[in-house]
Amino acid sequence: MLSQNPDFHSSRIPSRVGVGLKPEHYKAILGESPDVGWFEVHAENYMGAGGPPHRYLTAIRERYPLSLHGVGLSIGAAHPLDRDHLLRLKALNERYEPGLFSEHLAWSTHDSVFFNDLLPIPYDEESARRVSDHIDEVQDTVGRRMLLENPSTYVAFVESTIGEIEFLTEVAKRTGCGLLLDVNNVHVSCTNQHWNATDYISRFPVELVGEIHMAGYAPEEDDHGDPLLIDAHDRPADPAVIALYAHAVSRAGPVPTLVEWDNDLPDWPTLFEEARRVEAVLLGADTPEEADVALAV
Amino acid sequence: MLRSLSDVQADFAAALRDPAIPPPAGVVGPDGGPAPRRFAVYRNNVLVALGNALAGAFPAVGRIVGEEFFRAMARNYVLETPPTSPVLLDYGVTFPDFIAGFEPAASLPYLPDVARLERAWREAYHAADAKPLGAADLAGIPPEDLPDAVFSLHPSLRIVPSRFPIITIWRMNVSDVPPSPVDFAVGEDALIVRPDAEVEVRVVPPGGVAFVDALAAGETLGSAAVIGEASDSRFDLSGNIAGLISAGAFVDFRRQPEPAPW
Amino acid sequence: MSTARNLTTAVLAGAVTAAVASFAVPASAAEMEKCYGVSLKGQNDCAAGAHSCAGTATIDYDGQSFKLVPAGTCTDMETPFGPGSLEPIQRPT
Repeated sequence: MLSQNPDFHSSRIPSRVGVGLKPEHYKAILGESPDVGWFEVHAENYMGAGGPPHRYLTAIRERYPLSLHGVGLSIGAAHPLDRDHLLRLKALNERYEPGLFSEHLAWSTHDSVFFNDLLPIPYDEESARRVSDHIDEVQDTVGRRMLLENPSTYVAFVESTIGEIEFLTEVAKRTGCGLLLDVNNVHVSCTNQHWNATDYISRFPVELVGEIHMAGYAPEEDDHGDPLLIDAHDRPADPAVIALYAHAVSRAGPVPTLVEWDNDLPDWPTLFEEARRVEAVLLGADTPEEADVALAV
Repeated sequence: MLRSLSDVQADFAAALRDPAIPPPAGVVGPDGGPAPRRFAVYRNNVLVALGNALAGAFPAVGRIVGEEFFRAMARNYVLETPPTSPVLLDYGVTFPDFIAGFEPAASLPYLPDVARLERAWREAYHAADAKPLGAADLAGIPPEDLPDAVFSLHPSLRIVPSRFPIITIWRMNVSDVPPSPVDFAVGEDALIVRPDAEVEVRVVPPGGVAFVDALAAGETLGSAAVIGEASDSRFDLSGNIAGLISAGAFVDFRRQPEPAPW
Repeated sequence: MSTARNLTTAVLAGAVTAAVASFAVPASAAEMEKCYGVSLKGQNDCAAGAHSCAGTATIDYDGQSFKLVPAGTCTDMETPFGPGSLEPIQRPT
């Protein structure tokens, strides 16, 4: 698709590591034009009418490809999607022409209250139907394919009847959406749910994966003193997560990968170094036979 | 009997909003048993993340009361008035009014107005962009059109009147300048506007609040001038107009059509 | 009516002329902030709230609060009620 804005960088997200764009780093990025493959923003932070956020994002969009990541649509809610919010997402897609567009397998709004957290859902047929209907609505309204991200979870539901991978695969099959594989979420959820993370990555439908997320977690303990990992995005990716990532890209090939760091934000050089570290793993990945359709987003 | 998705979420949401409600049945740990500590992660996330959003939006209030007090006050607000939109830059519109009714903060009577100034600052920051008229644009209006001229004010423009020196207090608490004694007898009405990239905060001269409010309500320049004069005998029309031009407050004008002569 | 109108026109014209005359050419913008503005942190995140996630969860709700008194810079500012707010504040009932 040709860009509507002749000043914008190409929309296509390269098979490289991108970085979650934070306002604290705008100036370093515009001043230094660092060698970063692409940036990703949380859509909701750019839903004001005007002002500095749009000025900075426009300037950065002129230099880099962009990915748009929604954090508040509540796709997993039993209640209908917020049409106004959906239209805001559509408008942002049209304005910034992101190369990728993603949201979460989670809910965050109930009875008009927005909880600002990615809350878990039971994995059963009713949820699959609901989530699939919502993704159909998103893709129809925004007019493009979206990626659905696997969540970090801390609890399970007695209502669940199928596994998380089976749930994600089924929803993707019904809607044609792609998947965003958050490898930190895999490690966090597998630890918290007592699943095997290596096995999870081995069974994940990599042919549907259009993007990977990497981040750091905070260790806590659950009610029995067992490890309970929190998806805190406040430190570098853990070595265990790097190992899972190497496994993921050995299966999926060089999928565009985002380094997310949202809390206890470091200075730009530290974040850039983290991106380089992850990119070394990405570039070390051979393109495996089974990944020949992985990039078709 | 398993619950519907709607019921699962209703139970989950209720327990998130009220700490007296135990974690919902059916929300379990990996052993299939109750897991209150795990559910508490979600409760904590909601309160901490929304508290962070308020702390970011009201930095001067936070500095004035201290972090511990602010966190506790924000928790009460979040539980009472959670966001109703996923766009959190709109969250906290009613926080100043909440502070005004929050008894533990009553010893700081200026605090609600400082919060109103901070909220107006946020709104100006995110408001639609518009190019202000310059002095030359105003000089070009034919004198005979001036009484009936109706101005469009900048979409970012906000007025926060106060009987306290809120601008002085606010500046002292958003900069690194060490706090110094403040004369609380002098009120400051604030004009907040973002004519281009930077939000500006200015003191409104006497009568200016009524004058700007009238212009914002669509009154003609002639009527607004009369309203300004009526509100304060010190009202200086020329000084007010000059202040608004230099603030970038005017973005457009039109001559109000004459009413039909019958 | 027409006298009042003429008077108002003259007064307004004088005021606008005086206002306009007070202007010099604005200084040109050099720094990035002048072009783009202050870069404020975004409000929406997809990460978990913070450190201490599991540990403090019950404390977050217990209404601990209002043994607390404001304890920031207010104590350096003189208020009509004396300097700052050093008196204990009662918990609302």
